[in-house]
Amino acid sequence: MSHAVAIDIGGTFTDLVAFNRAGERVVYTKSPTTYGDFAEGILDCFRKAGIALSDVDLIHHGTTLVINTLIQRSAGRTALVTTRGFRDVLEIARGNRPAPLDLYYQRDEPLIARDFRFEVSERIGSDGTVIEPLDLSELSALAEHLRETSIESVALFFLNSYVNPTHEELAVQHLRQGLPGVFITASTELSREWYEYERTSTVCANAYVGPQVIAYMHHLEERLKAEGFQGTLHMMGSNGGVLSVERTCRQPIALVESGPVGGAIGAGIYASALGFSNAISFDMGGTTAKCTLVEDGRFSVDSVYYVDDYVKGFPIKSPVIEIQEVGSGGGSIAWLDAQNRLHVGPQSAGSSPGPACYGRGGEQPTVTDANLVLGRLNADNFLGGELHLEVDAARAALARIAQPLGYVGEEGLIRMAAGVVAIATVIMAGVIRRISIDHGRDPRDFALIAYGGGGPLHACSLARELAIPMVIIPVEPGNFSAVGMTLAEARVDDVRTFSSRLGEAAISAMDAIYNKMETDGAAALERDFQSPVARFERHVEMRYVGQRHNIKVLVASGADAAQIRHAFERQYKSRYGHADAKAAVEIQALHLSAFARIDHPDIGRLARPHSDTAIAARKVHFDTASGAIETRVYQRSALPVGFSAEGPAVIEEYGSTTLVWPGDRFEIGPLFEIRVHCNVTKGQSHAA
Amino acid sequence: MPHDRHSSAARTIDPITLEVIGHGLTSITDQIDANISRTAFSPYIYEYKDYAVAITTATGELITTSTGGMPVFVADAVGMAVKDGLATYGRARLHPGDVIVCNHAGVQGQHLNNTVMYTPIFARAGAGAGAGAGAGAGAGAGAGDRDVGVDKDDGDDETAAVELIGFFAINVHWIDIGGTAVGAISFRTEDIFMEGLQLRTVKLWSKGEPVEDMYRVIENNTRFPQELMGDIAAQLGGCLLGRDLVAALANKYGVQSFFDVIEAIFDKSEAAVRKTIRAIPDGVYEAEAFLDNDGVTEMRIPIKVRVVIEDDEITVDYSDMAPQVGSCINSGRYGGGRTTARLAFKYLIAGDENANEGTYRPLKLILPDGTILSASDDAAMALYPIPFPTVIDTFIRALEGALPERVTAAHFGTYSSFRLLGKRPDGSTFSCTDSGHGGWGACATHDGAGPFRTMAHGDSHIIPAELQEALYPIRIESFALRPDSGGAGQYRGGLGIVKQYRILAPCKLFANFDRVDCPPWGIRGGLGGRPGQVTVVRSDGATEVFYKSEGLALEPGDRICVETGGGGGYGEPALREASLIERDLIRGYISQENAQRDYGVRAHSGARVAM
Repeated sequence: MSHAVAIDIGGTFTDLVAFNRAGERVVYTKSPTTYGDFAEGILDCFRKAGIALSDVDLIHHGTTLVINTLIQRSAGRTALVTTRGFRDVLEIARGNRPAPLDLYYQRDEPLIARDFRFEVSERIGSDGTVIEPLDLSELSALAEHLRETSIESVALFFLNSYVNPTHEELAVQHLRQGLPGVFITASTELSREWYEYERTSTVCANAYVGPQVIAYMHHLEERLKAEGFQGTLHMMGSNGGVLSVERTCRQPIALVESGPVGGAIGAGIYASALGFSNAISFDMGGTTAKCTLVEDGRFSVDSVYYVDDYVKGFPIKSPVIEIQEVGSGGGSIAWLDAQNRLHVGPQSAGSSPGPACYGRGGEQPTVTDANLVLGRLNADNFLGGELHLEVDAARAALARIAQPLGYVGEEGLIRMAAGVVAIATVIMAGVIRRISIDHGRDPRDFALIAYGGGGPLHACSLARELAIPMVIIPVEPGNFSAVGMTLAEARVDDVRTFSSRLGEAAISAMDAIYNKMETDGAAALERDFQSPVARFERHVEMRYVGQRHNIKVLVASGADAAQIRHAFERQYKSRYGHADAKAAVEIQALHLSAFARIDHPDIGRLARPHSDTAIAARKVHFDTASGAIETRVYQRSALPVGFSAEGPAVIEEYGSTTLVWPGDRFEIGPLFEIRVHCNVTKGQSHAA
Repeated sequence: MPHDRHSSAARTIDPITLEVIGHGLTSITDQIDANISRTAFSPYIYEYKDYAVAITTATGELITTSTGGMPVFVADAVGMAVKDGLATYGRARLHPGDVIVCNHAGVQGQHLNNTVMYTPIFARAGAGAGAGAGAGAGAGAGAGDRDVGVDKDDGDDETAAVELIGFFAINVHWIDIGGTAVGAISFRTEDIFMEGLQLRTVKLWSKGEPVEDMYRVIENNTRFPQELMGDIAAQLGGCLLGRDLVAALANKYGVQSFFDVIEAIFDKSEAAVRKTIRAIPDGVYEAEAFLDNDGVTEMRIPIKVRVVIEDDEITVDYSDMAPQVGSCINSGRYGGGRTTARLAFKYLIAGDENANEGTYRPLKLILPDGTILSASDDAAMALYPIPFPTVIDTFIRALEGALPERVTAAHFGTYSSFRLLGKRPDGSTFSCTDSGHGGWGACATHDGAGPFRTMAHGDSHIIPAELQEALYPIRIESFALRPDSGGAGQYRGGLGIVKQYRILAPCKLFANFDRVDCPPWGIRGGLGGRPGQVTVVRSDGATEVFYKSEGLALEPGDRICVETGGGGGYGEPALREASLIERDLIRGYISQENAQRDYGVRAHSGARVAM
């Protein structure tokens, strides 16, 4: 009897999902994240689940280690080596000020300070020719210096290496020999696209996190082995696929969004399994809400990701599932500014002290407090009753902002609570609208797949705001990121800069490169997963000549220039509303994704065992005009497939609560998902 | 309920409805902003974000503008054009589906490339819940209306009574609109008529139909019809979609709620700003600086700013501003005088508030006709923002005594633009335009930042060297921070950059560096930063340093070293922490000679020195 397991280490909890391959049961456990030694929390989850590691053949693992190391700047000594004349590229960055009217604006400090950035003589031209050979004696002297200064990790960047990486490769080899035990990484191992700042920034981030990730991987493998684990460990990559441990140790930066992508993958697989070609995933946690667009089972994958956001942070050229995020979660604080304007977030009470109703000393009202006052949350059944919520504390906190706004008495307090939720809803609807409109899509054509602790609670309000008719709450919304990780495929991505006008002449050159990329991709999958390639996907990055912004177009293998142009125009038009049949089109980059299948659990068997629980009822505020309405309260595990009922309803389960509005109807679908048919045509106000 | 002396709206509007609608409006401009950035053809738009998206009231007052655009546009890039349209047509002749364009210098007071396109927004008269008294107010059919979709752009499908509620407007830098120079940008123009086609308030669309004659006029008055028409399509698409989104919002909550909310937004922004101004000691504050010259003659251009703080109002007095000049660095009363005053005010005083008409109510302007910031309608304006960074710097300097903790030292303050124009070996022409990023001034809490572009710029990116080398016959030999360029102080000024080019094909060099004779000053005892310069080293070793150039001929093998200015320091250098001086030495931000001269310290013998 063996298990496939996913482990998701979050900021507060380590989640585990274990799926018994015999299909008999699925186990969910949670344990506090153990910062001193993350492996402790993982092993604790296995103990709680009652699963022996010798009974586990596959582990998919997501972790926030990489992003935390980058944000907290907690790594050891890292150096950068560049072409002579270019060590400051990292610090100068792109010279832009995303906060244009902030007189005091400054960017985050560079990851590697100027005195740890070094230059060597070498030069490649923009056409790939060697203008000046790499000076190995300089490099040896530098290696000596790096050894003396106890450098743990070295990033290498040479100008124009995207056309000809041989100098970088030679330097890597040379430094590895000269600096045994030091992590050495070069820009072209991570990205073959032009733009020196982006490549430098990426390789520095990779070098920065390298030693910690390697240490973690070795430690974790050792601990798991000691407990009898003989299976395979895969790491969750930001591109939505899993990586081998070996690749993780070379490209740790590929784990930058290792955690949040799990839920998005799960949502994509659910959408496909349920036959929804268009879906938006919506993940609402304690501090943020995140959404992703899924079309025909595919995610949009961004090729640049900003650590600590675009405004102050730095870019990483690594494929990351496009996730739009906004600072609105259950812990988001409602506050008044000097002009008594009401704001919700982005500051969050987090998990400590948490919302006022947690009774841990939080005094400021949060979205969770507002939901509790409205009767939408059950004070006695939050996290399965593990945390009792204090309604009086929530009311007192809300009263603090209600009074200055003139909301008095019981009715005023309810209106205040409804207002806090309404503003959070508008903010979250904004991010969903943004991701769909950015792609030229209308959110009403999508199903909303909601999870995270707060997703199911707000999904039907959001659906009203956005006029989305269908809401899906998958199994285990509170652990859904881990659920998604169990379902992830193996995926390897590759990108090459390829600048050429679209035409038959370009096609043969393009195909030659793609063929090489496919060979490389298949070999990588074979090496990393001992698994044959299941499929390739080609995305060609294109634009009209003269434009600076590219779009990625899915292109079939063997497509000719006319077919590619047609695909480009169709996508361009759907995204921007217009296309130009006459304008010349150029190719900028070639993306290849190679996938291999990994034996994953049957998603029809992910629900917890059935239990019988009595149906209760309580008063819940929906629309403020109607006052509190007597509402049925169901326990989710008691609802069988095919169950159907009218709203209003509250469906409770461990880690989440689903709110079904009056006028809505819900049913339990074939994958144990809750399907809510939202009554959006009446256009109920969201502000309730 | 909040109490406000200015408006009855603020007393009746529900605070939650206020935030919900306010947030909705801001997110609409940001959405359209993102779409423009992606759909535009010209690099001005994508790389420099040389455009702004805004919503105005039915009288042309700014409600909100997209965040992250060019600062010169934040002050209100569209209001004057809309007001000119209202004066020209009257409300009666502005119909659903009309789209109007205006780039007229007499109206907007900026170069003719800046073209405002706007369309009236109509909503159902009397629709919705009226005064919006409750949190659940505004129950209309809004959310279910299909007209919020992105696929529809016809605005005149209303059969019920409609009411003009505002305008959706987008100001875009059109890539070329004729004139004597490509892109209409050169020092050599003498009046506005040399700079291209003026379109004063003309309809591009009428009642939902394109005015083909106008498209033909535009298409045949630009050197780059394909690019321009592409940009215009993007601008148009943004106007129409934005209009529909605002109309849907107003329909959902009702026009009366919509109007009340906007009044309340203005009032609250105004109250917040008045409170900030009241905290500034009353007084008359002055400062002056100058530009080296106007790019054609050698005459200095004095920039004198007087700021009067009186209770909760602020007056910017430009009475002693330099008269308009013969070259093209003039701007008009609205595009120059009012824009710089609003911009400086926003930077130093009203930074936290989203720009709207209310924010600017406490700001008064004294501006005689005929100055470099209030030039006549026929004055040349191709390079109109050239004085802006210095004007803003001078405003901040004026308030040194009034706001000692808030002021910053001067930034490098000049466009430092740099361009190579020539032919490739295959005979094709190339134009390599580079941006001048330099150091910013230090402030009371930290060293000067940068290198960034000037205060007139925003989110514009440095062009990558790898891109330049692939596109142009040049080789970039180094791109580095410029040590010692930042002024010393308790907090040091930001550093400029050094960029070295090797020329691989014959070309001509155009450059515009200013603030050399009036270098970036320090403040509160801080020292000044170094000005920028351009050095040409010929292949025979001959060297020449200059600041402005209109076509210096270069040959293969010549090298150019472009150095941009640094920012000024804040506070006495003697107050700088020793650890920061040591850090600067170790990192090579300052040389040992400068450390000794400015701070009187010598590097520790054991200090690591960068290779």
